[in-house]
Amino acid sequence: MNKDIRNMELLSAYIDDELSPSEKAEVDKLLATSLELQKKLEDLKKVKQLAGSVERLPESPFFETRLMASIEGQKNESSKIRRWMPATALAIVTIVVMIIMKFNPGLLDQMWENQKVAITGFYKENLQPVLVAANLTNEDVFNFAFNNELPLDDTRKQYLLLGYDDAGKEFFEIRSSDQKVDRGSYKEFISAMNLDDKQKQTVDSIIGSYSKALESQVLVNEQNTVAINPNLWNLRKAIFADLLVASEKLNKIKFDRIVPEGITDAEKLVVVNTVARLKNTLGDKYIFVTPDSIFEESYLFDPVLAEKNLKWTEKQIKYKEQKVKEFTLNLKYDSTFKYYSELKSGHPFTVVIDSNICRVDIPDFTNPEISIPEIASIDPLIEQATNNIHFYAYKIPKIEKSKSEIKIEYYNDDSVYSYVVNYNLLDIDSIVQANVGTDFYNLERLKETRPFDDTMLIKYQFDRDYYNRYYSDDEFKKQMEELQKELQELSKDLKNQKIRVHSEVTKSPKK
Amino acid sequence: MNSKEKEKDLQQPRILSIDEDYSIIRQFIDGDKSAFQVLVKRHKEKVRNIIYMTMNNSALVDDIAQEVFITVYRNLKHFRFESQFTTWLYRVTVNRCKDYLRRINVRKIFSPIEDGYDVSEYSTPAENNDISRIVMDAISKLPVKLRMPLILKDIEGFSYQEISETLKCEMGTVKSRIFRGREKLKEILQPLEKELME
Repeated sequence: MNKDIRNMELLSAYIDDELSPSEKAEVDKLLATSLELQKKLEDLKKVKQLAGSVERLPESPFFETRLMASIEGQKNESSKIRRWMPATALAIVTIVVMIIMKFNPGLLDQMWENQKVAITGFYKENLQPVLVAANLTNEDVFNFAFNNELPLDDTRKQYLLLGYDDAGKEFFEIRSSDQKVDRGSYKEFISAMNLDDKQKQTVDSIIGSYSKALESQVLVNEQNTVAINPNLWNLRKAIFADLLVASEKLNKIKFDRIVPEGITDAEKLVVVNTVARLKNTLGDKYIFVTPDSIFEESYLFDPVLAEKNLKWTEKQIKYKEQKVKEFTLNLKYDSTFKYYSELKSGHPFTVVIDSNICRVDIPDFTNPEISIPEIASIDPLIEQATNNIHFYAYKIPKIEKSKSEIKIEYYNDDSVYSYVVNYNLLDIDSIVQANVGTDFYNLERLKETRPFDDTMLIKYQFDRDYYNRYYSDDEFKKQMEELQKELQELSKDLKNQKIRVHSEVTKSPKK
Repeated sequence: MNSKEKEKDLQQPRILSIDEDYSIIRQFIDGDKSAFQVLVKRHKEKVRNIIYMTMNNSALVDDIAQEVFITVYRNLKHFRFESQFTTWLYRVTVNRCKDYLRRINVRKIFSPIEDGYDVSEYSTPAENNDISRIVMDAISKLPVKLRMPLILKDIEGFSYQEISETLKCEMGTVKSRIFRGREKLKEILQPLEKELME
């Protein structure tokens, strides 16, 4: 070998610390006398350093899950193929395949089905009710009925959100948040309804009676699968409506304030029927959301078996004196979602993945096997009650915009204050000029009695559609800040008497 | 037991003590399939990175890595405990990469130029890091036999011994190829020296 090349190779191995002591001594000696070799050494170090600076690939959190699903799938497929192919010779196999394909053209479909079954099977393993997994309390169930949010694990940082889009079609979102989601709505409801301890117990028992029904509606497992029964939307409505019916009996005055038009007998009947049907039959179709796929499949949830498993686990834990393991999910979603069963079922999904939200729209939601068409008739009731409970519980202004005016209402000390700002009369200066001396709008009196106080400006607007419009809390906060600015401007204009304000105070509950 | 067998028996524990994967593999062979997941979890990132560096194409990484682990899964029950598990795992990885590169080269011959494989087309993570991108692209221009040892040494930090076992070639060859790889890389990067220094 050329001596120079040998020296260079030694130099390269020298920087890798891969030389024997004698070779190292030899290189040290050469380096001490040769400037050229010293320069070469620097060059090699630089190249090594550059190569080492290459950025590594980010971790793949889904890799194992996919790999295991794929292995499961292949196992299943190969055993199936083996059954069909007596492997005597390639020619025979070919002929057999040709014959099979001729008489059984659905074989490829069948193999695809098998693959699918294996993958879906993997995600269906060990599903348990979220009620148990996340230790749901009455507060959580109430929150679900009221705010459409259901925690999915013990951390309370991951939750399911149900909703309806602008066209009234069902959607849901699985969200991860950095903080615990704690709305405190149950307490607000108790205070808005002014219920005492005994009455609260009644509400508690009503909520408790839904545990069984809710148990089978949302299932989770450690493969980060969330299985949602399409009856859940109706169940939420039923729980909420049932609580309303009960609260009418508990405190009629406060109830009238929340539902000024009252609940008709027909509506009560719908509620009773819905509740009875949902409690007794729950259906076995589920929408499965997994880290990398979404599909709709039948799944028979067996409450008896689930309870048995739970008892066994508890016994094991007791036996081993282990601390109860907290159930946590790690919900991260792959942006390349796969859809199964899109061909046969009428449920193509639209999935949008954000960093911490997986939103699934169900445009063709033909809901449940248990069809309850009449439930739509209580929608206005639920909407009205939700808005009013928010209004009374959180003391936030209600803002209604129309073409000619903005109406702002807020609630304080059992009174509802109402302001109407008329767009047509905004050019107040010219009117004042034309009618000098006229106290048009009693602005002074207005100021004395009810100054437009900035403190009443909203911190949060609990808009029913807020989740439809804003994807992140930051965006929502931004929008609220803008609204606050707008209202401050309005307040300034009011103080400067630029705007005509018609106001009234309603002391008694509004009818 | 003859003396040769005795010698072999004495050798085994030495390797056992240094390879933490052995006990997990034994669990797997004894029927605990979940042990495989432990192995995957432990080694997947290194495997994925070797593939990424070799292919310079992030879109292919998980597919190839999956094939590697499926091969390992199928053959793990025949593992002979004579060498480190990782040596075998990385050898499978390197061979699978070579298969893919071969396929890509064949496709290049038969497909029109514009449809050909463009090394930087799918690369992702280094987009914000120009130097990293430039160096990756330069490495991917090295011939495979120089590229592999260089990646294993300079990026993954293998020893010459490990490289020689993984690539199944002599230590002297490893030494020579690493040197030639560095020389060639320097040559490719020469016109871009100014950008790299900035």
